[in-house]
Amino acid sequence: MEKSNNELSGKIALVTGGTKGIGKAIADKLASNGATVVVTARKPSEEESGHHFIAADLTDSSNITELTGKIIEKYGTLDILINNVGGTSSPAGGFQMLGDDDWNRDIELNLLASIRLDRAMVPKMIEKNSGVVIHISSLNGKIPLYQSNFSYGVMKSALNAYSKTLANEVAKNGVRVNTVSPGMVKTTAMETFLESYAKTINKTVSDASQQLMDSLGGVPLNRLAEPEEIANLVAFLVSDNASYITGANMLVDGGTFPAV
Amino acid sequence: MEKELIGKVALVTGGTKGIGRAIAVRLSEAGAIVVVTARSRPTETQTTHHFIATDLTIASETHKVVSEINEKFGSIDILVNNMGGSTSPSGGFAALTDEHWESDLQLNLQSAVRIDRAILPQMVEKKSGVIIHISSVTGTLPVYQSLGGYAVAKAALNNYSKSLSKEFSPKGIRVATVSPGMVKTDTMDTYLQSLAETSGLSIEQVTQNLMDSLGGIPLRRMALPEEIAELVGFLVSPKASYITGVNYIIDGGSNPSL
Repeated sequence: MEKSNNELSGKIALVTGGTKGIGKAIADKLASNGATVVVTARKPSEEESGHHFIAADLTDSSNITELTGKIIEKYGTLDILINNVGGTSSPAGGFQMLGDDDWNRDIELNLLASIRLDRAMVPKMIEKNSGVVIHISSLNGKIPLYQSNFSYGVMKSALNAYSKTLANEVAKNGVRVNTVSPGMVKTTAMETFLESYAKTINKTVSDASQQLMDSLGGVPLNRLAEPEEIANLVAFLVSDNASYITGANMLVDGGTFPAV
Repeated sequence: MEKELIGKVALVTGGTKGIGRAIAVRLSEAGAIVVVTARSRPTETQTTHHFIATDLTIASETHKVVSEINEKFGSIDILVNNMGGSTSPSGGFAALTDEHWESDLQLNLQSAVRIDRAILPQMVEKKSGVIIHISSVTGTLPVYQSLGGYAVAKAALNNYSKSLSKEFSPKGIRVATVSPGMVKTDTMDTYLQSLAETSGLSIEQVTQNLMDSLGGIPLRRMALPEEIAELVGFLVSPKASYITGVNYIIDGGSNPSL
């Protein structure tokens, strides 16, 4: 992995969902800033990532215990935790389309996975009086979209509240906790989502994408983000240059969020 | 330090002390040509920055300054509206006269509006540029004892900055707000000193009282100006290419709301 700088030299970082999309971009960026990066996902990516891969399904709490154990055994510590895993397979079409199973799946993936992982890893940071946690949330946590991903937005909003609460608690222990809220990002997950959404509303993918942007109120920068643009903000926030930033929710959304 | 801003011309208003000076240093370390303004020449010479003496609360000064920068260095790529503050007294709402309100609005809102208005056309023509408005947590978390007018002006600045970003981001110009909490600067020290004198309490006590009036600071300390400067340095760089219309709070966790 080519290094850009030494900002994160000596740091051990874990990126969940780190084999594709935003997670992969974050993992690559942290590594290029000097960190040793561990990535998890349910399965490894097809190409060699250059990062240490540990298979884990974070909706299974025994996997989390195992994951923590492996990291502490190999590295002795964790400095940077990027809770990036998240997403939804719940149907579009409004609240009546969502059964208990859909809600429970979204709670597990978007909220409980982070809560359990923090519970396992943050005590190690507290012991050292130092560490950084990032929760990758979404603009949908602040702008709900009932038509396309009702339950996802609700869970991301809950994640925002959880992140802020944790930040308040562990600031005195030298651990900074922040949320990053991306808008629409160009990833295969986004493509898959748009394809399925397009089918639901009976439009082309391109029209569905425009409709989604419109339902958010439009994107002033008039395009989707590249995963690297999210990764750049994360890399800044986990560095010592962001030492006074904690308990913040930082939007990276091309200006989409409409309110002050 | 990555030289991400080589070839960029940056203007930092109020750039000779405190947060403004730290921002100017950070931007020039990243390779920018940095122009700073203030009413009086700084006592120590900052050889990497170009200084223009001006009072930007005076309307006629704005165009003079922009023309001078354009003549010497070319089109402005980065504008950091850092100047701001308050000369209003403490003592709550009753202590603020019309003149205090007017002065707080002029210094913290109107000056930024005027300089943005003067510089935006050249950014629009280039289809690129970044404007940062240095606000304050008091913009969303008002402190009435001593900063009533200032807080209101900062709230207005936040709304104005967001509005500007909606209008100009489609034209290639990013606009963002940075809201610091308590920052350890000479200005802060003088302010705490004056609070101590007015109240008869110690500096430590008035500092604690101010922190408490914000709801406490989870990180238990004030920021260093350099910490604010690092966030601004990031925001004006190409790394922040998808970031616009935001208000980034940098306050050690003090803002209590979600």
